[in-house]
Amino acid sequence: MSEAQFSSGGPTFQSQARIKFYCDEDRCIDCHGCDVACKEAHHLPVGINRRRVITLNDGIQGKEKSLSIACMHCSDAPCAKVCPVDCFYIRADGIVLHDKKTCIGCGYCLYACPFGAPQFPKSDVFGSRGAMDKCTFCAGGPEETHSEEEFKLYGQNRIAEGKVPVCAAMCSTKALLAGSGEEVSAIIRHRAITRGSGTPKIPYTWSKAYGE
Amino acid sequence: MRTYLYVFFFFLLSTFGLAQNIKEPVDFSQNTHIYGVKQIEQIKNWGINSPTSGVVSGNVMEMQGGSINPSMSGKPLEGIESLRGLGELFTLLQNKVFAPIFLAIIILVPLAFLTHLMIFKSKRFSHGISYKVFSTYNIAIHWLSAVPFVVICITGLIMVFGDKLGGGTFVRLARDLHGISTIAFAIFGPLMFLMWVKASLPKIYDLKWLLMLGGYLTKGRTISTPIPSGQFNAGMKMWFWTCTVGGFIMIFTGAILYFQLSSINALRLSAIIHNCLGFAIIALLITHIYMSVFAIEGALNAMVDGTMGEEELAILHSYYYKELQEGGKLEKMRVGKPHHH
Ligand code: SF4
Ligand code: SF4
Repeated sequence: MSEAQFSSGGPTFQSQARIKFYCDEDRCIDCHGCDVACKEAHHLPVGINRRRVITLNDGIQGKEKSLSIACMHCSDAPCAKVCPVDCFYIRADGIVLHDKKTCIGCGYCLYACPFGAPQFPKSDVFGSRGAMDKCTFCAGGPEETHSEEEFKLYGQNRIAEGKVPVCAAMCSTKALLAGSGEEVSAIIRHRAITRGSGTPKIPYTWSKAYGE
Repeated sequence: MRTYLYVFFFFLLSTFGLAQNIKEPVDFSQNTHIYGVKQIEQIKNWGINSPTSGVVSGNVMEMQGGSINPSMSGKPLEGIESLRGLGELFTLLQNKVFAPIFLAIIILVPLAFLTHLMIFKSKRFSHGISYKVFSTYNIAIHWLSAVPFVVICITGLIMVFGDKLGGGTFVRLARDLHGISTIAFAIFGPLMFLMWVKASLPKIYDLKWLLMLGGYLTKGRTISTPIPSGQFNAGMKMWFWTCTVGGFIMIFTGAILYFQLSSINALRLSAIIHNCLGFAIIALLITHIYMSVFAIEGALNAMVDGTMGEEELAILHSYYYKELQEGGKLEKMRVGKPHHH
């Protein structure tokens, strides 16, 4: 793979390998560009944040890190395992999606998720939970691609348009990467070598999400 | 005089300043829905083998799982938050264990009773004189608790087997009914508890009842030896405690789950308790229905008009019968006409 390809910052989806998210904690500057972009692109209601920037070890010198977190689209996804109505489906490229019309809003997927990704809007006057909402990797949902229904329930389907997820596209420092596992790994490797930090460890988020 | 005035103003100002100082502590809380505190909590404590998971471990502070509140960043986790593995454990249980156990219960328990009915037959007692053993209040409270209770159990099972039922509107409706019925049970359940708690306290003779399984392994259509039992036998007492105290635990854990009232690890624990207690409740509910409807002919009358035939009372609730006789209360409870079917 040539350097020009990964330094452009966007994945090409040439490879058939599964997709992955990666947030480089050495690059994230806590600007919230990604979560604002996501919220804006998908017209998410108040209280729903599919992607969030979190700061760990706030105030501890040298250890403070910011990180952008959303659904990691796990292989062997725990959420799909626990859903009592089996409304998840995992695409061939690894994107984990679910059917909001089947979901009963029980909340089990949230208890199973290692990343706290599932979100629940309040659905009505009783304050009961509506259908679960989470990051779609900008790949829409089970409704007809680019239909009004798909946009209303799941937001944009940028993957069908050949675009990267809007969060990664918007990331100003390119800390947040989205693309095929191979490409993202190549970028991580390249960065580690350039920084002189040797062979990069597998990110912990990856070992949880992709079992590596 | 002027000095005094200065001193006075000095004190006035300094108290003002002091008051300023000890005002409100700085509010570090943030919008948890947006800025991730909730989410970081959710990320922790997933794996069975690690106190942390996801981003906290590895990426930043290796395996420490520090708290993320701004004022106590990096401190070790405490309480239920420090428990390991509930995320992974919940995933495992919900994925592999809960639904199969519920399925086994709703198939095997009725099957066992069907076999029992075929071998030991339903018991019949003569219906000569009968006594009013339950008041109208007893009966009303029983059914006002029982109807929502059964609805809760059925809708709960619909959710457990939601995938087989296609999910969507129907199962969502079951979920809502599950919650609404809980309100009714939360009102009448405690009244039932108060009404029968005394009669349900365990007695020594309950052990004897348990050892002989209440005489239900007697062949033939009658039982002639008196069974050691008060107003409620040991089996009914077990059911009483399960459906009241167990039911209240279900209300509590269910409310936590429904309103997502607590931290993620407590939610996981609540879901595990809610399901496990569910096994006992479903199994005993089936037992209760079998005993009252099928095992003894006419036993249901006790909860319809409150009456019980003398023979049934004397044999199946022998200690209660004796107690009533000795206390001289039995005669007053006698119902005019013998009960016919
Ligand atoms: S991150 Fe959570 S919601 Fe996303 S696939 Fe993994 S378990 Fe499911
Ligand atoms: S909230 Fe919806 S998607 Fe999540 S486990 Fe329940 S039914 Fe499945």
